[in-house]
Amino acid sequence: MAKGLGDRVAIVAMGCTPFREHWDKSADDLLVDAVTECMDGVPGLALDDVEAFWVGTQGSGMSGQTLAKPLGLRGKPVTRVENYCATGSEAFRNAAYAVASGAYDVVMATGVEKLKDSSFSGLTATWPPSDGTDVEWTAPGGFSLLAPAYRARYGLTERELRDALTHIAVRNHANGALNPKAQFRKAVSKEAVERSPRIAGSLSVMDCSGVADGAAAALIVRAEDAHRYTDRPVFLKGMGFVAGNGDGLSTDGYDFTTFPEVVQATAEAYAQAGVTRPREQIDVAEVHDCFTPTELVLMEDLGFAERGRAWADIVAGSFDRDGAVAVNPDGGLKSFGHPVGATGLRMFYECFLQLRGAAGDRQVPGARLAVAQNLGGQPGSCVAFTAVIGNEAP
Amino acid sequence: MAGATITAYAVYLPGYALSTTDFRAEAGSGGRRARSVAAHDEDAVTLGVEAGRRLDGAARDVPVLHLATSEPPYLDKSSAATVHAALALPASVAALDLTGLRAGAGALRTALAAGGLAVLADRRTDAPGAPGELAQGDAAAAFAAGPDGPIRLLAAASGTVELLDRWRAPGAPHPTVWDERFTAGILRDRALDAAARALADAGLGRADHVVVACANPRAAAAARAALGGGADAEVEGLTGYTGAAHLGLLLADALDRARPGETVLAVNAADGADAFVFAVGEGLEAARCGPRVRDQLTGRVPLTYDRYLRWRGLFTVQGPNRPDPAPPAAPPMERRRAWKNALVAVRCTKCAAVTAPPGRVCAGCGAHDALRPEPLRDLPCTVVSLTEDLLAVGPDGPTVQAVVDVEGGGRRSVHVADVPEGGLAVGDVLRPVFRRISSTQGVHNYFWKARPMEKVRHG
Repeated sequence: MAKGLGDRVAIVAMGCTPFREHWDKSADDLLVDAVTECMDGVPGLALDDVEAFWVGTQGSGMSGQTLAKPLGLRGKPVTRVENYCATGSEAFRNAAYAVASGAYDVVMATGVEKLKDSSFSGLTATWPPSDGTDVEWTAPGGFSLLAPAYRARYGLTERELRDALTHIAVRNHANGALNPKAQFRKAVSKEAVERSPRIAGSLSVMDCSGVADGAAAALIVRAEDAHRYTDRPVFLKGMGFVAGNGDGLSTDGYDFTTFPEVVQATAEAYAQAGVTRPREQIDVAEVHDCFTPTELVLMEDLGFAERGRAWADIVAGSFDRDGAVAVNPDGGLKSFGHPVGATGLRMFYECFLQLRGAAGDRQVPGARLAVAQNLGGQPGSCVAFTAVIGNEAP
Repeated sequence: MAGATITAYAVYLPGYALSTTDFRAEAGSGGRRARSVAAHDEDAVTLGVEAGRRLDGAARDVPVLHLATSEPPYLDKSSAATVHAALALPASVAALDLTGLRAGAGALRTALAAGGLAVLADRRTDAPGAPGELAQGDAAAAFAAGPDGPIRLLAAASGTVELLDRWRAPGAPHPTVWDERFTAGILRDRALDAAARALADAGLGRADHVVVACANPRAAAAARAALGGGADAEVEGLTGYTGAAHLGLLLADALDRARPGETVLAVNAADGADAFVFAVGEGLEAARCGPRVRDQLTGRVPLTYDRYLRWRGLFTVQGPNRPDPAPPAAPPMERRRAWKNALVAVRCTKCAAVTAPPGRVCAGCGAHDALRPEPLRDLPCTVVSLTEDLLAVGPDGPTVQAVVDVEGGGRRSVHVADVPEGGLAVGDVLRPVFRRISSTQGVHNYFWKARPMEKVRHG
């Protein structure tokens, strides 16, 4: 297990563009917008004062110049990172380690994706030359494997599972309707979710997150310096990351009712943060609701629900904004869409707002501890990131 | 060549039948005739692999494999080599391609002359609306020849005539046909001449079983009538004329029906004619591999005409806006040749877990370089979870993909082929099948899908 960074680094400012079909903006424009909002949060600090940068993108740019060029950075180190849909989280993670190591005192993590310019349906990726033997799962195809497996393992009726998945979609869209930065700002009815066209397996369009353009940024400093920049810093309490070895798809044993990589990354983050009763201790959780069954399984992997019981807790409202844990109060991927490189930092952005009491209409009262959880790949072969952040100073 | 024997034979008929070209009709509601249809992901190579793998061990000890087809997936590159690789034949076995409607007879003749494996496989497509559209068909047959089989060649005879009766330039989707009333007489005469010479050499006046393969139905009917045959027309009426495979299909059906002590005359009429006279001996049952031809005609799935046209690429439908799949690259194909061609994974010598695709590290226990080859090609597998993906639409609508556990260990993500009408469920049993995954930039990506286990009776 990694030595924790608990209480060694702090986030003092963040920026996040609206996630949209930004036909009139390039990835460069989106990065400038997100970084500008972020820097506006720390008056007196200039971009030139930031010592190092990370930019996460899956396919909207190559190398650190993805950020250096649009920002006009001079003489700065910029690292481009990619880790599937956890790319934005990976940018944050590396930036945090850089500060904790003592190499830098002030750094910035950014993430961006421009998906709408391609005109393709759904997410696409470019792979290295191969022997052509791998099944090219689409994202909905891969994640739709969770639903029949979960239903079979826990003996749910089709209606019981459907009710839980529908509740996730309805609730996340209701939350997103309150959020000016969400792409989809309209509450949807249960009927609308269940009548929408099917995409893969039992998943309909409304079980899937959308495609969007967006960017986000976080300014990260040493914890002891945090109050120099803001009176409401947010501190990293624990963080875990696992790049799965894919054994769930290459040898027998995995049953598609959990993400083992998420369980491992979360155990590490919780241990560093001293979280032992997540359902009681965590106030807000931004989780990777790329598809509704993903969020269902994550409630168990994050320890918010007993194994085999998340579906019932979801329907009972345990993860609504006034529930035991407010899950995806910003609307999640369901409302925002999923610009790959930006999503992880968008999750931090909402946690940052909630922990500062700045989330407006969707504010969870008294939020003190939040989880930002992000994953990529597919069930059986994924990368997983979990962070615990809080507003209490060390 | 006389005295050579067939040691084993097998036929693969794809699981679909088209009986009407009427858009308004329900599938299967046409006349009594039908044509055999390969699935959208089948071609001469995959059909040939299915026939060849039914020969099992009988196909291994041969010096040469010939693939005969009128529709080779490649021109410059060998298609026989792909069949050779999927059959996991030793590298020392030569693989050679023969093309054209006479190629089946040529492959059989060559196999009998020198010992070898003849794989006859074809996919035939007349133009929509052509008079013979329903009279063409798809099939594959495989014959292993050697010195000690139960089916002995008594005599063979050939003749050649240059004749513009049916032709297709490279790249053309359909053949063009001269007036069949004109060419029928010439082909009939060539067939009867070759048959007469072969029968004379065999010391026979007539044979107990007669089969005539000819693209011209008038010529075939006339030759059958003159030679005392006709039972083969029953099969042809349900498969169509299957091109370079047709001689093999009809010969196999005759062998299915023959009894020890009987003789079989098999004639192929194309650009002349080739005639073979066989004597069937004891041990015929052992030489028959896989189900009988007529058993394969039962249980085929009736196709609607629009689905047939989509499969053949004659009727394109707008799908989701997704990028084309990338073609496979030669170096990774070569590095993983055993996996790519013959579905050979690895089993750990420490913990016995199977890792697929193969790598150097065991997915079960993490041991490095402690793995031995583990062929999965002939093992059934069970569906762990599955999906029907409407975002990934192919020539047959949504693609079906599954995660399966292999009997005895191992897991694969698979494309599912020949999905039954009622769909599939967790727990269903599938078997590996060699199919075309995609074709991009002129590269055909062949690999092993999985399909439901056949319910066909094995005779």
